[in-house]
Amino acid sequence: MEYKGDFLDLLKAHDCQIQIDPPAGSINTPSNHPEWTEGTTVVATRYKDGVIIGGDRRATAGTAVIYDRAEKVLQIDEFSVLAISGAPAVAYEMARVLEHSFQYFRRSQLQELSIEGKLRMLSRLIRENLPMALQGIGGVIPIFAVYNLQSGGANGGQIFFYDALGAHFESADFATSGSGSVWIRGVLYHVNRWGDVRLIEMDERQATINILRLLDAASEYDSATSGYNPKSKIFPTVKTITKDGIRDLSVDQLSLIYSQSVETDHVG
Amino acid sequence: MLDEPYRWIEAINNRRDYIEDQLRMGSPVVGLSYDEGLLLLTIGRGQRKIFEVHDRLALSAIGHTADIERLRMLATDTASVQGFQSSVDDVTLHRLSNFVLGPTIKQAFEAVFASAYIIKMLLAELGSHGQGHQFVALNYDGTTRSNQSAEVIGGTEKVETAMKSHLSNSDSAGLSFTSALRLGLEAWAVGWDVSPNVENSNYIGAEDSGQVEGGNSRCEEENPGKLNMDIEHIHGVLKRELNQGQINVGVLQESRRSKSKFRSISAENIDAAISDWL
Repeated sequence: MEYKGDFLDLLKAHDCQIQIDPPAGSINTPSNHPEWTEGTTVVATRYKDGVIIGGDRRATAGTAVIYDRAEKVLQIDEFSVLAISGAPAVAYEMARVLEHSFQYFRRSQLQELSIEGKLRMLSRLIRENLPMALQGIGGVIPIFAVYNLQSGGANGGQIFFYDALGAHFESADFATSGSGSVWIRGVLYHVNRWGDVRLIEMDERQATINILRLLDAASEYDSATSGYNPKSKIFPTVKTITKDGIRDLSVDQLSLIYSQSVETDHVG
Repeated sequence: MLDEPYRWIEAINNRRDYIEDQLRMGSPVVGLSYDEGLLLLTIGRGQRKIFEVHDRLALSAIGHTADIERLRMLATDTASVQGFQSSVDDVTLHRLSNFVLGPTIKQAFEAVFASAYIIKMLLAELGSHGQGHQFVALNYDGTTRSNQSAEVIGGTEKVETAMKSHLSNSDSAGLSFTSALRLGLEAWAVGWDVSPNVENSNYIGAEDSGQVEGGNSRCEEENPGKLNMDIEHIHGVLKRELNQGQINVGVLQESRRSKSKFRSISAENIDAAISDWL
């Protein structure tokens, strides 16, 4: 076997099937499929120190809420985060394959996979999942955010989004995905264009407030997106990616920002 | 001719001599525990020698570069597939060394018409779930030796014995990273000093007592197991070697936030740890 550090090839060589491979025997009757678990809002914006990325916690199947602690913003390695929307079974497997691929490349080739290489890897996974996506099951449209250490002092935060065929695009300032994203894309444009502070100039606190408000707005209109649940203290997941790596905002931080700047009747 | 048992044993013994001869000059590797995890260290001439295998596993080796690469790949591939299919918790040093690497090396060693691996390997596992750290030394014939607190590999048995005796005579419980690094370097130098065919290896003998053969035998005779008595001499060996080689250190450190606990220590950090020492 050639040692080119390709994890998918390694799995194939070991007859190891990953869950995004279409199952044997086709599933082609979307009309009788069970209610697939899906639905989400994830949103990423660039800010002063890098990228901030948040997601709600609800997983739904049809109108049923299946789980209210789902993690949809996943750390892949020290400087990359994948935010997933769509079918969790496929999305989590994609995240797992991606994480192991990056590690395998580093361990076998003794160097980090380049950002371009990482993007192509994710493209390949989305592309391989196409048959499932076309059948109306298991479609996943992720956002991939990284901090580029080779940015030479400039803000290295980069956000990429994908289409269902696996093409990737770099977004200038923000990206959002999932069923709730339609409600907030316009808000993002508005904030970035006419807000008091542009997204890229926000500090961490301002950027966090913005993310939490956007998720709150999405949950107002999209039943598959959860807001803040005061009874069980479940907050959205919010991560920052900066030159120092990835950090999770703590429940205490989020709780404080919520009470001060989100759960208010009117913020002056 | 090899269908006769005697000839086969003879062939194996020849092979043993051949491999040992190839390994004699290898730069030793030291594995040590410290308060935050464990470290592997050696002094190399340019080539990287300490490798990450999986989240909690690292390895180093002496021997033929191509053989090291082949077995490193085998270890990395096996651990990666297992870690993906099942869980990181199922990727253990015991399974990797006893079920994968050991048998592979032994098989090649005893297949007298094919090439054997010219290798000695040191693997390390960061302890978890209440289990302590684990070091495993794998020999070129597939035999293993394991230890919880420290382990070494060197070009010859004499080198390994000298290094181990230095380590066991030193206080090695709960060391800081800096102290562990220094102790490891001393152990390396003790081993290197008794390596055969190393220029100046008879340094003491030549200078102090006029003996040509193994100046260290003086220590052995007068103070068995006290090879660390002449610390200045050991530091001298280290200084000399550091003019030509670089210190290679990899750690498995529990406090790292990432799931991967391995980190290669940068040259600056190593310099900081030894700058006011040698």
